[in-house]
Amino acid sequence: MKLFLQILVIVSSVLLALLVLLHRGRGGGLSSLFGGGMQSSLAGSSVVEKNLDRMTLFVGVVWLISIVGIGLLVKVG
Amino acid sequence: MLGAFRSALATPDLRRKILFTLGILVLYRFGTTLPSPGVSYVNVQKCYDQVDQQGIYSLINLFSGGALLQLSVFALGIMPYITSSIIIQLLTVVIPRFEQLRKEGQSGQAKLTQYTRYLTIALAILQATGIVALAVRGQLFAGCTDPVIPDQSVFNLIVVVITMTAGTSVIMWLGELITERGIGNGMSLLIFTGIAARIPAEGGNILNSQGGLVFFVVCVFGLAIICSVVFVEQGQRRVPVQYAKRMIGRRMYGGTSTYLPLKVNQAGVIPVIFASSLLYLPDLISRLTTSTTSEPSGWQQWVAQYLVSQSSWVHISLYFLLIIFFTYFYVSITFNPDERADEMKKFGGFIPGIRPGRPTAEYLRFVLGRITLPGSIYLGIIAILPNLFLDITGQGQNQNFPFGGTAVLIMVGVGLDTVKQIESQLMQRNYEGFLR
Repeated sequence: MKLFLQILVIVSSVLLALLVLLHRGRGGGLSSLFGGGMQSSLAGSSVVEKNLDRMTLFVGVVWLISIVGIGLLVKVG
Repeated sequence: MLGAFRSALATPDLRRKILFTLGILVLYRFGTTLPSPGVSYVNVQKCYDQVDQQGIYSLINLFSGGALLQLSVFALGIMPYITSSIIIQLLTVVIPRFEQLRKEGQSGQAKLTQYTRYLTIALAILQATGIVALAVRGQLFAGCTDPVIPDQSVFNLIVVVITMTAGTSVIMWLGELITERGIGNGMSLLIFTGIAARIPAEGGNILNSQGGLVFFVVCVFGLAIICSVVFVEQGQRRVPVQYAKRMIGRRMYGGTSTYLPLKVNQAGVIPVIFASSLLYLPDLISRLTTSTTSEPSGWQQWVAQYLVSQSSWVHISLYFLLIIFFTYFYVSITFNPDERADEMKKFGGFIPGIRPGRPTAEYLRFVLGRITLPGSIYLGIIAILPNLFLDITGQGQNQNFPFGGTAVLIMVGVGLDTVKQIESQLMQRNYEGFLR
């Protein structure tokens, strides 16, 4: 059971990192990090972005559940 | 002020944005307390109480909101992103291709952001590996005997590293979601919550160890510092710019007079971050080369005595000088007087009494150089202030100390920025704002 969860964590972690990297970056680097310009891009999210969001959310939930599961197993077992 | 709050919450669009932001922040705080798989929560708590000397990790711990020493899922916090942003920013000076991308405008900027994100993941893997290695060797909590990670098989350690890396990417995503759909800049808001969340605990620490009177004095002092930081952060020199009138057809265009705002502290908190990262390097090197058995060698003792010890005058003055240097350095990277003068010339603008082109650039450079001097000294003073009050805050805590130094600078900067954004949204509906 624990091994299964651990493998699940690894798979979902890698997927999560890849999915996040697939998103279009909106950070804007350091210049806007600490009180820089106030530019906000008005471009709405496209269908691709929306589906990407949904997939990321799903994988994220799986990731979270498996981490909590391992934590519970360590505590109980 | 309160009326502005009410009208901010009464606007459905703004209310949704604010609630969305708060929701993400709650999610982030939850993640910082969730222990990574395989990390024993009980042992971590035991060690955390035993060891209060943090030294080298204090900066990283500051940016992760205390999550690092808990070895939680979000242990690395926002630090890999900050580091990679700094690296990419510096590389634009060195690598011509990056310089080109930066000048290209929106599309080039997007590409640079994408590079920053890739580098963030790479750095996250590195840092996660480093921290897990330190934890396994028992160096994360020096002197604590309970194993933080009970099951030290390679597979288990890999799981922890990968989880932390994924955690960093999730933080990045959360930050971008706030920037995109919420209010304010996501990344800086996440740092803000990390720092703000520590205030009650730190305040309680002082109250318990020093008593009510000292606590009261510290609070008054902290408020005074915050006020003065707000005062300087808002300060700017307004260089008047006049635009020439133009006739196009029968219409008259231009002829307006505006100003070019030059902030006193153009660089923000970035010089402080640079300087403290540099000062931690010798400490890091001496720790990595120290063997547990033999006596520390001469230079290691020197480093420990003068550079690491935050009350020694060598440390304080070096820190101060580094901050002044990096302020000038960063301003010269981000603000280019020649470009500004060129732009002004293109659109028919000029500073009254000064010719467009090269003289304008020289004038801007002169004004900027002069205004940055008090700005850099102010940054240095604010940053070293907690070092002078080590008796109250306790050794090794100074950068985390929420009433002075880096923490206040970041909090005030981010707070002002966010309030301004909410205000500009409010302005679309009515004219009452937070700031007058």
